[in-house]
Amino acid sequence: MASSSSSPAPPTLTSAYAAPPPTSISSQIASTTFTFPTYTSFPPFYTLQPNLTTRARQLTLWSNLLTTYCAHHRLFKLSLSFLPANLFANPSIHRTLSQPDIRTVLDHLALPANGGRVEWIPTSSRSEKPNSCWVYWRTPAEWADAIYGWVDETGQKGAVLTVYEIREGEAVQSQEWRGMDEELLRKVLSVLVKRGKAQIFGQEETAGVKFF
Amino acid sequence: MASNRRGVGMSAFSNSAISADQYARHGQTLRSNHAEALANQLSVFQAALHNFSLTHAKDIRQNPQFRAEFARMCHAIGVDPLAGSNVKGSAGASGKTGSVWAKMLGSSVNDFYFELAVRVVEVCRETRAENGGMIAVSEMRKRIEKGRGIIGGGIDVTDDDIERALESLVPLGGGFKIVPLGSSRFIRSVPKELNLDQSTVLEVMQILGHVTVSMLQANLGWERARAIAVIDDLVADSLVWVDSQADETEYWSPAAMHDG
Repeated sequence: MASSSSSPAPPTLTSAYAAPPPTSISSQIASTTFTFPTYTSFPPFYTLQPNLTTRARQLTLWSNLLTTYCAHHRLFKLSLSFLPANLFANPSIHRTLSQPDIRTVLDHLALPANGGRVEWIPTSSRSEKPNSCWVYWRTPAEWADAIYGWVDETGQKGAVLTVYEIREGEAVQSQEWRGMDEELLRKVLSVLVKRGKAQIFGQEETAGVKFF
Repeated sequence: MASNRRGVGMSAFSNSAISADQYARHGQTLRSNHAEALANQLSVFQAALHNFSLTHAKDIRQNPQFRAEFARMCHAIGVDPLAGSNVKGSAGASGKTGSVWAKMLGSSVNDFYFELAVRVVEVCRETRAENGGMIAVSEMRKRIEKGRGIIGGGIDVTDDDIERALESLVPLGGGFKIVPLGSSRFIRSVPKELNLDQSTVLEVMQILGHVTVSMLQANLGWERARAIAVIDDLVADSLVWVDSQADETEYWSPAAMHDG
């Protein structure tokens, strides 16, 4: 799954919450219009279903929509105050998922049992409900694999790279993680550190990362 | 052949008796000749068909029209190509024919329908939470065509194929049934049967896409309580989805959810 694989992996039908298959960045940028799946024009999609079996299916569809939408637009984070206009709503059919329901959906997706594709970002005050979340169209572990794979394939093991280079450098222009929020990248790097595959020294964006 | 067909008087009587007997025996000879000729023709036909099915196994597999015609022909001469021992029509000759057919058509056609049946069962299971166990044959076909593997991987599958594949599941039990709803045909994969009111509402939904309690009252002349009861049943069985953002709560059939 590392770096820019040009042949998409077949979707895993066994996992209800499978992430979108890896595609190269260039193919994503080329088609800038996101194709909304047909079920986003199905009015009941925006009403939290009372039947729990049906609701479970609905939440799976929301998870798929969320991850594919964010992957396409390379959104790593969602803020409930500044949501994309057409992600949780379809203006053409005058339907919107209500704010409380949006929170319910995101809460559901944050559960590891449901794929853990969302992680709430804690607020400074404990009493406040979080207002933004990471959307893991790739999980931190998957990002760690991808970045490490790229380092390995480009023969950069042992070299020291800056956090900035990994995020925005010329060498990563065609990589899926280009432009990743720094906070998320640090999370990903700490996964590699825990695996004994990397070491970070220094602070802020001039911090250096060495891969083993 | 009697030269004196129209004898008159007493001689006519004895002549006619003789000819009747002769006709009777002749008729019997003809019949047995015919039967023998027929048996011969049938075995010649079997051999030709055997060769045909071997050389055209690929076509049978890949061409849905061909396949449908082939199946229709089998049915017309009283043989079920899918279940070698399950034979319709006259017992005598076809009894032997049935088992020979199974060998003749052998792996290719049987495999196709078997794999298709397995795929149908899989799709029913995958979609049950979404549609409560009722899926249109046409939607099933679309899903299968999009899939991977031998079925769907470039092989045309028709609604007819799907229904035949399901028939082959009948001896296994498992409760897969074709349910007509209005002009569509649905596959029901849950044991619970729809009662008349429920079927009626689903039929209306097929036509209109969705219903409200008022619509049921107005169009079917039902009392409010009855309409609500049926709707509640359908929701409880996960057969319909709820839209509470319309002026009056709307109930939608999931059949249209993934229509391209």
